[in-house]
Amino acid sequence: MSRLLVVGAGPSGLGCATELARSGGHDVLLIDRVPVAGGESGWDKPEVRDLVRAATGAGVEFRLGAAAAVWTDRRLLLTAPGAIRWVEADHLFYAGGLRPATASDLNIVGERPAGVLPATVADHLLSTGVRLWKRAVVVGDGPWAPHIAERIRGAGGHVTAVGAGSPTWADQVVAGGTGLEVLGSDRVHTLRVVDGTRVRDLVCDVVILASGPLPNRNVDGALAEGAPHVTFVQPLDARGIAPRAQAGRAIAAHWARTNGGNP
Amino acid sequence: MTTTRYDVVVVGGGVLGTAVAERLARTSASVCLLEAEGDVGEHASKGNAGVAVSYYGGPGTLETDLINASNPFWEELCERLDVPYRRIGGLMVALSDREAERLEHTRAEAAACGVRVRILSAGEVREAEPLVTPDAVAGLSLPDEGIIDPMRLTAAFASLAAVNGAVIRLRERVEAIEHEDDGTSTVITGAGRYRARFVVNAAGVGAGAVSRMAGGDPLVTWPRKGQYVVVDRAFAGALRQIVFCTHLPDTKGINVVPTTHGSALLGPTATDVTDPDDRATDAETIARVVAEAARLVPAVAEAYAIKTFAANRPAGDEPYRLRVDAHVPNLVHVTDRSAGVSISPAAAQYTLDLLQAAGLDAVERPGAHTALPRVPRLRTAPEPERLTEVDPLYGQVVCACEHVSAAEIEAALSAPVPATSIDGVRKRTGAGYGRCQGSLCLAGISFLTAMATGCGPDAVRHTVRGTVGS
Repeated sequence: MSRLLVVGAGPSGLGCATELARSGGHDVLLIDRVPVAGGESGWDKPEVRDLVRAATGAGVEFRLGAAAAVWTDRRLLLTAPGAIRWVEADHLFYAGGLRPATASDLNIVGERPAGVLPATVADHLLSTGVRLWKRAVVVGDGPWAPHIAERIRGAGGHVTAVGAGSPTWADQVVAGGTGLEVLGSDRVHTLRVVDGTRVRDLVCDVVILASGPLPNRNVDGALAEGAPHVTFVQPLDARGIAPRAQAGRAIAAHWARTNGGNP
Repeated sequence: MTTTRYDVVVVGGGVLGTAVAERLARTSASVCLLEAEGDVGEHASKGNAGVAVSYYGGPGTLETDLINASNPFWEELCERLDVPYRRIGGLMVALSDREAERLEHTRAEAAACGVRVRILSAGEVREAEPLVTPDAVAGLSLPDEGIIDPMRLTAAFASLAAVNGAVIRLRERVEAIEHEDDGTSTVITGAGRYRARFVVNAAGVGAGAVSRMAGGDPLVTWPRKGQYVVVDRAFAGALRQIVFCTHLPDTKGINVVPTTHGSALLGPTATDVTDPDDRATDAETIARVVAEAARLVPAVAEAYAIKTFAANRPAGDEPYRLRVDAHVPNLVHVTDRSAGVSISPAAAQYTLDLLQAAGLDAVERPGAHTALPRVPRLRTAPEPERLTEVDPLYGQVVCACEHVSAAEIEAALSAPVPATSIDGVRKRTGAGYGRCQGSLCLAGISFLTAMATGCGPDAVRHTVRGTVGS
């Protein structure tokens, strides 16, 4: 019996863990930092509940509400309120989800004032129901963008999309240009779109970074491709619960085939 | 508006102002620190490379004496103040015969300052730091260079000062300084009047303006912008030492500096600007920073850049000023162009000596606190599995990239001089400092900060100057 850890209980992690457990001969522990499965897809969707049932049925064990911090010498440091423990395992599958590109990823220069936020953060903040912004610039067309734009517009705000192709979710659409610059020393007041020698200033009270997605990587020892005894389960193109679960299953099946169950 | 009285009013909450306040707070003198921004350490003390240097300039200067007086004690001081510090050493790299000649000049100057220093051959350079370019023709080893967290240092000075009774007033920009007939002065801000026997001018880039308000020496100060690139610890973890370029007569150039967070800083550039609030990066300069750093350490070109930032250090017509004003006998200037962190402990003692010589009645106060309670850090704890015995919240990781727990964030939000913004939490804990730049944790930190500061999700401060909502 080999012991396999899957970090991240979103759809891709659920699919991966289920497939590993079904392939036989493995003890599979599925871990997530929040106390429910589902990841960014949310715990209460019927499709997520189905995936959880399938995983449980296949014999996957769950450890929810525990964050993975370090993977070294085939040990994973797991942190949960009141309990920090090392867990031994033969192989780590990292399904830590996706994140928006940062200002640095996008080569955005200029000031660093209040009001420049990652899309994931904007999404959480908007979910409080408080009206936060009147004039938003959303950079990029990552999976968060439509939902965020909808919330801001629903609360009476105006949304400009930058570098997002021609989306239907914006009031105004602006091409990305060759460079973006943030202006404002207290709060952001302008996103400057530079295109060669031409400059266009977009007045705004928030800039939301929604490009990507890029893979989250935050477990030391499992940061980059090639890390020993690590397989990354972070499909970038699959969007939606079923396609992400399917991508997770495919990665697990490929691993089981190529490793013959020997981690 | 009521007037409160203090023996000393310190203007400026950077590393020097807070260090002076901390030193004075351990004496019988009463002290009040006035800071214009909403947090301590908002300008040069936040935006610097985090090096506690052993060598900065030629022998025979007060600055060199203060560096020498501070350097041996960093381990002891940082242990007491709960500030990350590591004496990892520095390696100055020569890439040409001309630079190698210049290294010899630097070696002689450093040695004359009493600094431990040694010339290395090309082979020894590579052995000391395998990441250095094979083009290095020689090197200079400076084993007493150390890396420090300058934001934690400034916050710790401020907190220990507060614990010992210093009053720290934030968001109080000095608007006027009036002199009274009894030889005291009244420092006037938008929110209060502070009558002081002595005024310490530690206003950094604003020191010229403060001196002018007090009718003091015409100090000329201006902002010198430096741009930096932060690279990920996947690369920086392999870096053993600080890698400096060869100092040329006119510039200290772009360096590669490991940070106490495990990342590395590339920079800084040096451009004189006029607006102290101009902290904008530009694409051309950032590209140049990476290219110049890659000349020293080629692997940085492939390293993952987490973020870029700019900060202004206080340039001036004099490199440093630690003296009583020539015109105003109760005004003491405490500024440094760039080595503020490195001189801060000794500069604080020197300032106390100056004040006492000028007539301040300050005796050591028995029972004054000399240390802050230690807040263990999940990321660097030798036995992380034991931390939940200290506080169960150590198991609640908030910032996944930097492994910052809720216990550490709660400590920052309840410190004697606490974080009052998302950025203030980052400065004190590193939360949000990692490769995802807060995409996973900023919402959580904003909720914790909102609760601690008693405001809603819209009014919580993102930076000290701006809120999350508009």
